[in-house]
Amino acid sequence: MQSINKIHKVQNITRIYALSRRNVILRYKNSLIGFFWGFIKPLLYLLIFIVIFSDNSGIANYPLFVTSGLILWFFFSNATSQSVGSVVSSAGLIKSLNIPSYYFPLSEILSELFNLLLTLAVFLVIMQWFGIVNSAKMLLIVPCIILFTVFSLGLSLFLCSINVFFKDIGIIWGTIQPALFFLTPIAYPENQIRRYKAIVEYNPIYYFLKLGRSIFYDPAAPPVHAWVNCLIIAVSMYALGHFVFYRLKNQFISAI
Amino acid sequence: MDQGLIIKVDQVHVSFWQNNVGVYTLKDLITQRKRPFKSKTILNNISVEVRRGESLGIVGRNGSGKSTLLRTIAGIIKPDGGKVTVNGTFAPILAIGAGLESELTGYENIKLLLALYGTARKNANAIDNIREFSELSDEVLRSPVKQYSSGMVARLAFSISLANDSDILIIDEVMAVGDQGFQSKCKEKIYQMKNQGKTILFVSHFPEDVAKICNKAILLEKGEVIHAGDSQEICSKYNQLF
Repeated sequence: MQSINKIHKVQNITRIYALSRRNVILRYKNSLIGFFWGFIKPLLYLLIFIVIFSDNSGIANYPLFVTSGLILWFFFSNATSQSVGSVVSSAGLIKSLNIPSYYFPLSEILSELFNLLLTLAVFLVIMQWFGIVNSAKMLLIVPCIILFTVFSLGLSLFLCSINVFFKDIGIIWGTIQPALFFLTPIAYPENQIRRYKAIVEYNPIYYFLKLGRSIFYDPAAPPVHAWVNCLIIAVSMYALGHFVFYRLKNQFISAI
Repeated sequence: MDQGLIIKVDQVHVSFWQNNVGVYTLKDLITQRKRPFKSKTILNNISVEVRRGESLGIVGRNGSGKSTLLRTIAGIIKPDGGKVTVNGTFAPILAIGAGLESELTGYENIKLLLALYGTARKNANAIDNIREFSELSDEVLRSPVKQYSSGMVARLAFSISLANDSDILIIDEVMAVGDQGFQSKCKEKIYQMKNQGKTILFVSHFPEDVAKICNKAILLEKGEVIHAGDSQEICSKYNQLF
């Protein structure tokens, strides 16, 4: 019996891998520079921010200050916007094969995670040029990315399952994102916002970006409470997404 | 369960949420103040038994629940009530190309579906078999499926579902498209699989095919089995519907 379970596990990993691979192929199909688009977007934003803010931001080594936030933001933004429609766009597969619909948002997140790793590799080189202090502390980015991935997966499960029934969720999410981007202190220090401080305090995304920034930019390692906050946010977002998704998933097939 | 039984559908009930008139966006939900969904019964109290090696035809009007029944048996839809017990493996249901990704090439689709179905490792020459059976050239299989004609899509889809060496073959309207040559080839293959002792579930709007291929059949009407029995007899009942 145990060996059967094991085969099932191997098969499921193969399936998730095949779907993620499909996403990567589909994303860059018919495009000349393929995956390079993945880091051109953060790079472009980085250049814009350097042009606008580096003179009077009052932040030492401004380029390094923005970089990690931008990389993580674009991971989050791409991952969620790709997975919002993942169940709807896989209608054909969902209707013809007995595979958990959970795999569709999951595979979108995983293919985006793959992209993040490539982007991060490129930016690590760029960050050398910005004068990053190389140390073992940088390895902390791995647990940081894991937590952020769990958070993004949770939000994606929530969004994609509701999007099955109300197609405007995808459009709304696309509209909200730029607002979220500018309200999250990525290009500016958090004390820039004083009167509406609550916006920063209750912005779950900022906790992850701040964690990432302290790993690459701050001299000291991120404090324990920063990790605890991220852990709590990631787990609760995942729990909510999981709950909503599993409540709705049996009805997907009638709505797609 | 009786040893000879391969599929046992026991008083299965399936209902879907149906979108209430015109509520598709959040704006509709707020402005129209209607309940967004109501439950609609698709399959009502269905009981079917299929023995190993038997072939069951499913006939009925459009919207009578044939495809839903197939999907429920294949485990794609979870029934609200009753129980489905299956003692074998399924080939994917590729009803006229649903499940093929139009942006991907024929080969990419084959690899994806084989991996999703879990046959990639077991059968190394599955891809060759699919190419051979579908009679699609290497060049065609290298181009994206969106450029295929509907007949070519049907060829590819049917060939992929045959590539899985499964106990139960589900055929949902595959033969409606595809040219004469491929149609007769499909039928030949179906007979061959029947002789190999595979179980076949066959949905078709051509009662002659059902009568020829299947020994048993059921007639569905509004989600209920109104007649079950010998396929010849059921097909003549089906013809009387119109």
